[in-house]
Amino acid sequence: MTRSMVERTPGWVYALYLAIALAGLGVPLSLAGEGFVRWLAQTRSIATFDVTLQVLAGGILQGGLYAVIAMGLTMIFGVMRIINVAHGEFLMMGAYAAFIFFMWLLPRELHSLFTLNIGMAILGVGVFLLLCLPLMFLFGMGVQRLVLNPVVGGPELTPLLITFGLSLILINASISIFSSDFRAIPYLSGALVVGPLALGYPQVVSFIVSAAITGSVFAFLKFSRLGKAVRATAQNAEVALVCGINVERIYLYTFGLGAALAATGGVLTSIQLPFFPEIGAIYILRSFAIIILGGRGNYLGALVGGIILGVIEGLISFFIPMGSRLQELAAYTLMVLLLLVRPRGLLGGIADE
Amino acid sequence: MTRYTSWLWAIVPILGFAAALVLGAVATPPAALAQEPLTIGGAMSLTGRYSEPAGRMADGRTFAMEEINARGGLLGRPVKLVMRDDRSDPSTAVKLYERLLTEENVDLCLAPYSSPITEAVASITERYKCPIVADGAATRSIWEKGRKYIFGLVGPSEDYLRGAVEIAAKQGYKRIAIINEDSLFSKAAAAGAESYARQHGMEVVLREEYPRTATDFRPLLLKIKALNADVIAGGSYFVDAAAITRQMKELNITPKLWAATVGPGLPRFTEDLGPLAEYVLGSTQWEPVPALGYPGIKEYIERFEKRFGYKPNYHAAQGTAAMLILEEAVKRAGTLDREAVRAQLTQLDMTTHYGRFKVDETGFNSGKGLLLFQIIKGERRLVWPDESREVQPIVPFPPWDKRPSK
Repeated sequence: MTRSMVERTPGWVYALYLAIALAGLGVPLSLAGEGFVRWLAQTRSIATFDVTLQVLAGGILQGGLYAVIAMGLTMIFGVMRIINVAHGEFLMMGAYAAFIFFMWLLPRELHSLFTLNIGMAILGVGVFLLLCLPLMFLFGMGVQRLVLNPVVGGPELTPLLITFGLSLILINASISIFSSDFRAIPYLSGALVVGPLALGYPQVVSFIVSAAITGSVFAFLKFSRLGKAVRATAQNAEVALVCGINVERIYLYTFGLGAALAATGGVLTSIQLPFFPEIGAIYILRSFAIIILGGRGNYLGALVGGIILGVIEGLISFFIPMGSRLQELAAYTLMVLLLLVRPRGLLGGIADE
Repeated sequence: MTRYTSWLWAIVPILGFAAALVLGAVATPPAALAQEPLTIGGAMSLTGRYSEPAGRMADGRTFAMEEINARGGLLGRPVKLVMRDDRSDPSTAVKLYERLLTEENVDLCLAPYSSPITEAVASITERYKCPIVADGAATRSIWEKGRKYIFGLVGPSEDYLRGAVEIAAKQGYKRIAIINEDSLFSKAAAAGAESYARQHGMEVVLREEYPRTATDFRPLLLKIKALNADVIAGGSYFVDAAAITRQMKELNITPKLWAATVGPGLPRFTEDLGPLAEYVLGSTQWEPVPALGYPGIKEYIERFEKRFGYKPNYHAAQGTAAMLILEEAVKRAGTLDREAVRAQLTQLDMTTHYGRFKVDETGFNSGKGLLLFQIIKGERRLVWPDESREVQPIVPFPPWDKRPSK
């Protein structure tokens, strides 16, 4: 049915979209610098091989983090057909859990142990994730059981509104507990220097942990019995039910896993950047863009989409004047363009049948 | 597979929510009741992005309130400060002032922290004709709109990075990158840096703004590195200045000179960043250095430190000074009548621990200049202008790998 839509839309419409997109980029371009020529000259002077490589590497590292976050969202959508608007707030909970653990619970001496070198830093995050993820898994299951289960399979708007409400509750609860201050965790600073590349330790740790978790989730879905049941439910819940899969239980696990993945993203964010109660908004927007880019409900799509978005954002803020302000625009533009041109996403969505 | 018991799942979020409520209740102290106090009210960014500088300023005001009450209060009544948290958000601040002035009927007004919030609030205090001494706003444009009830205290935003540019120019550095948060004060500071840089014949290789929520400056820093900038000047507050410094280290980028507004001047900057804060230059309105020679400065520093456990920074000093100036104006007016207080503020010429207060016809305290310090061995030491200098600035900064670790 996607094909027929493409055929009905005449080519000039796309030309118009393209023109609008170019104009949208062109306005900030011409406003920001002293014009296009200056920009070109500047780009030529800064776009050396080494630096471009650095920008790409930074984008890939960032993209790995995006992928973990988006994977939770896409999984919940694929299996339950629920758009979890509170996903960003699950991430925020992960970040504050890390804050509580590292700043309040962990004795000072142990803390400095985890900032000793990169191995210890990864260990520290690993230990914390082992504590935090089961809790978030339980929390996710609790939310699913309590507020979402009664409305799964009903009109799509209801769970959307419920998760939206949940997100507001979580943000405000977090403001009243932690205040809207920016928080940061003093983590291993410094950079891993590889040839011309300088990769910040926190970002490297975040990428390694993301890769490990993404890999485990893939393996789980591909090989384990439960993972296969999850995929079967995503493909067709009714047939899965007929085949003897306890669909309601799968829903429970999926939501728990989705919440745990979001919290992982939060923990990995917290070791890199300052965070605050409304931080979820930054990542939920990108996650939507990513799952639309990769294909809704497609796990590999989340990985590919995450890395593509990370790289594109890096390139935009690097090459375009005032690019720091255009990063979010990039995610939105990508999302809208893809919905127009290829609504199934790059890799095709599980939810489109 | 066994059947789950549904009530068990209900417990998890409920427990979490209950814990949140209990914590929230514990964190909110009950309001103290005083007898017929004279209330001075305003919003302050006690939480959120601006909470570091604003918190220091709130301490400065509390200090002044206690001093005034120890002297027997104002017009024979004890003074009570009403500072409501605006969460660093201009629209919240506007609502708070509306409420303070219409429902709670405070006697006198205090200014909020930061130029963007002051700009938003000034329209409200103007409408209700409540004079404020703006101890947290340095942007001249706020005073260029014909307002009659707002008085300046601090030196202009445009001069914050002047010292950094002059030191760089003296060293012969040619290429400067200027970055700033896209809000009123930071923009003005960056614009000032740009014009001083051009006056000194420097090349502005980059001028870029980032949004108020930005935390990831890595691509921006890479661009600056690729442009080969000698100097980075930042129109910043606390969160961004700290994140930029940290990410410079992560990307192994060392400019010859990195100067930022607001952030480095706060005690938490050196506490949080530790050795990373070393060498960073920061602009300041005032430092706890008795050699500045203002009347009472030495006693002020000592008493403040005794009360709060840290040396006052310039935000704290401004918070105190604004209260003292308001006290003096009310004393001279002999009444709480806002018009009379306003009239006194327009002609007041007063020198406190913070320096001289004498506004021009727009209400701006135009005589106030800026200072520049460098963080050396964890201490802020004045390096500019020459007449206030404590030490010679250490430039160019040593690269990260040449610095002693830890």
